Amino acid sequence: MAKSIKTLQIRHVDAGSCNGCEQELTALTSRDYDMQRYGLDIVASPRHADALLVTGPVTDTMALPLEKVWGAIAAPKVRIAFGDCAIGCGVFQQSYTSHGGLIDSDLEIPGCPPEPGPALAALRDWMGSHSRGKSAYLELGPVEIN
Amino acid sequence: MASSWQKQNQELKDARYELLAMTADRRGNLTTSWLDPAGGNHVFSNLKVSDGRFPSLAAALPEIAWDEREIHDLFGWIPMGHPDLRPLIRTPRWRQDFFPMMSPGQAATWLDVEPDLPARKVEGEGVTIMKVGPTHAGIIESGHFVFSLIGENILHLDAHLFQNHRGAEALLEEKPLQQVAPLVTRVCAADTVSNQANWALAVEQLAGFKQSPQLVHQRIILLEAERVLSHLNDLAQIPAGVGFQVAHQRALAMKELWQSSLKTLFGHRFLFDTVRPGWASSAPSDALLADLSELRSLWIPWRQLVSGHHGFIDRMQGVGATSLNQVMRLGAQGVAARAAGKEFDARQLLPWYSELFRGPLIQSSGDVQGRFRVRLDELEASLQMIEQAALELSRTNLQEQRFIPPVTLSGRVVTFTESPHGMNVHDVALEDGRVVRYHMRSATYRNWPLLAQAVAGNTVADFPLINKSFELCYSCTDR
Ligand code: SF4
Repeated sequence: MAKSIKTLQIRHVDAGSCNGCEQELTALTSRDYDMQRYGLDIVASPRHADALLVTGPVTDTMALPLEKVWGAIAAPKVRIAFGDCAIGCGVFQQSYTSHGGLIDSDLEIPGCPPEPGPALAALRDWMGSHSRGKSAYLELGPVEIN
Repeated sequence: MASSWQKQNQELKDARYELLAMTADRRGNLTTSWLDPAGGNHVFSNLKVSDGRFPSLAAALPEIAWDEREIHDLFGWIPMGHPDLRPLIRTPRWRQDFFPMMSPGQAATWLDVEPDLPARKVEGEGVTIMKVGPTHAGIIESGHFVFSLIGENILHLDAHLFQNHRGAEALLEEKPLQQVAPLVTRVCAADTVSNQANWALAVEQLAGFKQSPQLVHQRIILLEAERVLSHLNDLAQIPAGVGFQVAHQRALAMKELWQSSLKTLFGHRFLFDTVRPGWASSAPSDALLADLSELRSLWIPWRQLVSGHHGFIDRMQGVGATSLNQVMRLGAQGVAARAAGKEFDARQLLPWYSELFRGPLIQSSGDVQGRFRVRLDELEASLQMIEQAALELSRTNLQEQRFIPPVTLSGRVVTFTESPHGMNVHDVALEDGRVVRYHMRSATYRNWPLLAQAVAGNTVADFPLINKSFELCYSCTDR
């Protein structure tokens, strides 16, 4: 089977962004970019998500909430660093509240902020060249109900 | 001493001066700077911290309450007699002896506890507590809200912000002049030009550099272009708050059009890195004017759509109302203050704006509709100013002004501009061409306490609408 992921439902967490990355992410959902037509969407709950998308340098105050959201997403799941701050090369890297960006990201979308056109292309390229991993549910095997 | 500090500041407030900033430095110097709304003169009041303490002004001047809590968190000085000295920025994860502004460059070591602070809640029969955030269901900046509800009605909102605190002021210390602008640019995407302009004005003022009329016009174009962008964004969000999708999507489409114009004309969709000391990015006037009229062709029918939709208007009227009294007491700024009738816009006090700025645009209702309408009018006024400035520029021959700030530039200056969110202030101290203290005070910092008051008594389902009508950025409050 050809490698590709047909849909990616994304939960966004702002971890110290300047709001530029957020606004460009919002633009992706507007009619000019309309990312829904490619199976991409921002969802309200981590329970509905396949992906965690992080903006900002990961401030300490957001570090724990961020990992909680990650923990609430069912596997298989991916981590996306959106923008230079989240990738770990932004201007707030050295701050006393910064954890230096998102660790262990599967996809990095560069830019300050990433422009919506290239960002959409990066997401679609990535989906086109990856397949979904095994879900945690399958790994667990049949569940016994008693 | 104590009493004269309190008395002096109280007198300034009573004389209707606007608080620019309250700044502390590592050596224990406290300064409040005030702006005379009649003539634009700055008045400073100084105090030296003694024994790690200083007399609090917060009881008499509620707008200073947050500033003093911030100083307490970051420097460790204690404002004596402060009515609510809970941590504002500090979290339980910071070591007790960690005061980031006392030793910049120091890396934090975090304690292994939750970052949340105890919330202030209402107790009693029938009261329920609803916590929202810090992560949210949509694409929003992080903030943690604790609502005390009775039935559907909000009794009290305790907003816990500063999740986006990046320690920008500490990062700026010791920076040589040329390294300041990229960071100042990125503190807040919505008010970036205003922040860049404040920095540029500070250096120019200290160096005695006189801006040419061209440079002034280029800057006004950028500042107003930013206002158009930000107001378009905020105007798009208010209909979204009541499910008016057509108006929401069409406003987002205008915003996209404008952002792609800005990219083509000035090189960046949010105008990052477009203003520096002695310089501003410029675009050919005819291209700018053409983009302006394209935007207008979408704007005019959109304004008709939202102004004639009675269902939409009904949903805004009387919701999230604030009085002029509340606005004045809390020192609120910008659109939120003008919507309740405060006749103040920092542009009226900037002499270089005098040719183009026609005075503050106000409403009296202080509700969601008032804030919506102020933005409608201001956006149109901004389009006009851009047009006039562009025409002005097209009539003159462009000459690059050369300005290289002296490498040993020193001194202290307070600069301000009217950002899309209100009066935005920078208090900058330089020594030998390096930053020794950089304090930024955004308008939204003063407006958060007003938002908390505006939502009380409204239904909780209206919170998103009220919140969007204020559209307070988190990032420039948190820094
Ligand atoms: S990458 Fe740039 S736009 Fe995005 S949060 Fe960081 S500073 Fe803002």
